[in-house]
Amino acid sequence: MSKRSLLSILVTLLLLSTAAAAEVLRINGSTTVNAVVVEAAEILRTKKGMQIEVDTQGGSTGGISALADGRVQIGMISRPVTDEDKTKYPKIQFHPIAIGEDAVAIIVSRDVWDGGVKALTRAQAQQIYESKVKNWKELGGPDQRIVFFNKEPGRGTWEVFVHWLYGDAKKAPSVSFPEVGANEEARTKVASTRGALSQLSSSWVDNKKTFALGIKGDQGQVVRPDPAHIADRSYPLSRTLSVVTNGEPQGAAKVMVDFLLSPEGQALVRKHGYLALADLHGKGKP
Amino acid sequence: MTVAALGTSAVPRRSWRRLEITRLASLGFTLFGIAVLAYILGLLVVQSLPVWRHAGAGYLTGTEWYFRDQKFGILPMVYGTVAVSVIAIAIAGFLGVGTAIFAAEVLPRRWRLGLKLLIELLAGIPSVVYGILGMLLLRDWIYRALERWDVWSGDTLLTGGLVLGVMILPTVVTLADDALRGVPSAQRQAARALGLNRTETIVSVCLPQALPGLLAAVLLGLGRALGETIAVFMVIGRQDNQWPEKLLSLRPLVEPGQTLTTKLGGAETFIAHAEPLHWGAIVGLALVLLALVLGVTLAGALVGRLGDHA
Repeated sequence: MSKRSLLSILVTLLLLSTAAAAEVLRINGSTTVNAVVVEAAEILRTKKGMQIEVDTQGGSTGGISALADGRVQIGMISRPVTDEDKTKYPKIQFHPIAIGEDAVAIIVSRDVWDGGVKALTRAQAQQIYESKVKNWKELGGPDQRIVFFNKEPGRGTWEVFVHWLYGDAKKAPSVSFPEVGANEEARTKVASTRGALSQLSSSWVDNKKTFALGIKGDQGQVVRPDPAHIADRSYPLSRTLSVVTNGEPQGAAKVMVDFLLSPEGQALVRKHGYLALADLHGKGKP
Repeated sequence: MTVAALGTSAVPRRSWRRLEITRLASLGFTLFGIAVLAYILGLLVVQSLPVWRHAGAGYLTGTEWYFRDQKFGILPMVYGTVAVSVIAIAIAGFLGVGTAIFAAEVLPRRWRLGLKLLIELLAGIPSVVYGILGMLLLRDWIYRALERWDVWSGDTLLTGGLVLGVMILPTVVTLADDALRGVPSAQRQAARALGLNRTETIVSVCLPQALPGLLAAVLLGLGRALGETIAVFMVIGRQDNQWPEKLLSLRPLVEPGQTLTTKLGGAETFIAHAEPLHWGAIVGLALVLLALVLGVTLAGALVGRLGDHA
C-alpha cells in the first residue's frame, strides 16, 4: 500500500514537472539585451508567476540559432537579422521587435585615455584590427603596446564593429587576438590591462577604469557615443536592440514582448543606459 | 560462490536463480555503459566526418584555424591543452604527493581525518568559482609578476595551468594518500627495526612501494585537467593560432592561448551549428579531447593495476 502510494506520488510529481516545464519561457542571446530582459523576467515572475529562463550562450548569433532550433521562444539580438541568418534557417519566420537603441563603444584602459588618445578614425581602427599599428605612440598616445581584446565572433558587438570597418562581416580579415565574450568580461579585462582596447556596449562604459573613444570623421570632427549622437545616428556604431520570435509572438512570449514595449519595460531599457524607443522618435529613425 | 558449500537441495536452487538475475543485470548494466560510450564515439566520428574529408590528417597537424576561410588545424589547441595540463600536473603533482606523504606518514590519525576533510572540501568548490577567483586575483598577480617580460595581459597559459593545478589538487592528494596507506605497516616497522629513521623509511620504503599508485594518482588528475573547461576559459585569453616558433621555449607559456576545451566552450560552437564543415571541425575537437582523456585515464588505471599486483 505504502509502496503504491509512493509510486503514485512519484508519477504525479513527474507529470506536474513536465506540465510545468512545458510552460517555461526560454530566452537566449545577446548580453547587451539580456540586462533588460533579465529584469523584466524577474518582474513577470513575481507579478504573474511565470516561469522564465534567460541565458546568453553565444551572444546574438547564439540567440538566433537557439530560436531556429526551437530551444527558445525568444532570441535577444544586438544586431539586425541578416540575410545569412535567413538562408541558414529558411523555415524560420524571423520576427524582430525593436525594444531600444544602443551603441558599440570602442573602449580603452585608463593609461591610454590619460595618455591623450581620445578618438580614432575608421582607418586607424582598421589598422589596429589588422595589426598594422601596434603601439599607441603611432596614434598620438603613450609608448605602450596596443593590447586588443577582440569580441568573440557571433557577438552582436563584434558584428556591428566589423560591419562599420569593412561594410560586411564576411569581408573582415581573419585575425587572431585574445577574445572576450560577455560585456562583463570585456570591461574587467580592459580595466585591468595597460594599453587595452576592446569593443563594448556604450552603456557599460564606467568612465573610471574604461573610457569610450570618439570617432573622428574625415573632416576631423569627433562624434562621441552619447545619447544625442546615438539617437540621430550620427555616431556610426549605433544599433537597434531587439528581441526576435519565430512568427508573431504568442502565449508567454507575447506577454514578455508586450511588457518590454510597455512604459514599465521601456523604463528598464533607460535604466540600463540604453535609449528607449520614445527617445528616438522624430530624429530621422524609421 | 558459496552455493556449493550450502549443500541442501532447495536453497541452492533459489540462490542460483538469484545469482543468475544478479549476473544478468550486472552484465546488462555493463553492456549499457559500453553501448553509451560506443554511441558517443560513433556520433562524434560521424558528425566530424566532413572535416576529415575536407582537411584529412591536416586537421590534426595544421597550425591555422580560421573558420571563415575554412582552415581547420587544431595543433595550437592541442599544444595549449598539453601545456596547461603539464603546468597543472607539475603543481598538483608536487604539492599533492607532498601533502599525501604528510597526511599518511607524519600526521597522527585524528588530524589526518580533518586534513582529508578539508582537502575534499576543496574538491567540492564549483569550477566557475575557481574561474572567477582566477579572473579577479590570479590574472592580476601574474600580470604584475611578469611585467618585466612585457606580457600582453594576465591571461596566459600559465594562469590557466595554475588555476587547473589547484583544481585537481584534491584528486591527487586523495589518491596518493590511498596509495601510501596501501603500503603495509609491517614494512615500515621492519625498516625502522633496521635502523632507518622516518625520512629514510619514507624515501626508500614507502615511496618506492607506492610508486604505481602515486603515478596513477597523477595520471587520473591529468585526466581531470584535460577535460576541465570553464575555469580555464576565463583566464587563458582564448587566442587562436598560438603555435610556438620554438616548441620548448617557455615564452608561449606567458602568452594567451587556447585549449581544446576552451574552444569547445566558446562562441564558435554556437555559430557552427548550421554549417556541416564547421560543425564537423568543432565535433572533431570533442573527439580528439575524448581520445586524449580516455588514453590518460586508461594509462592511469593500468599503472594503478600494476601496483595492485606487485
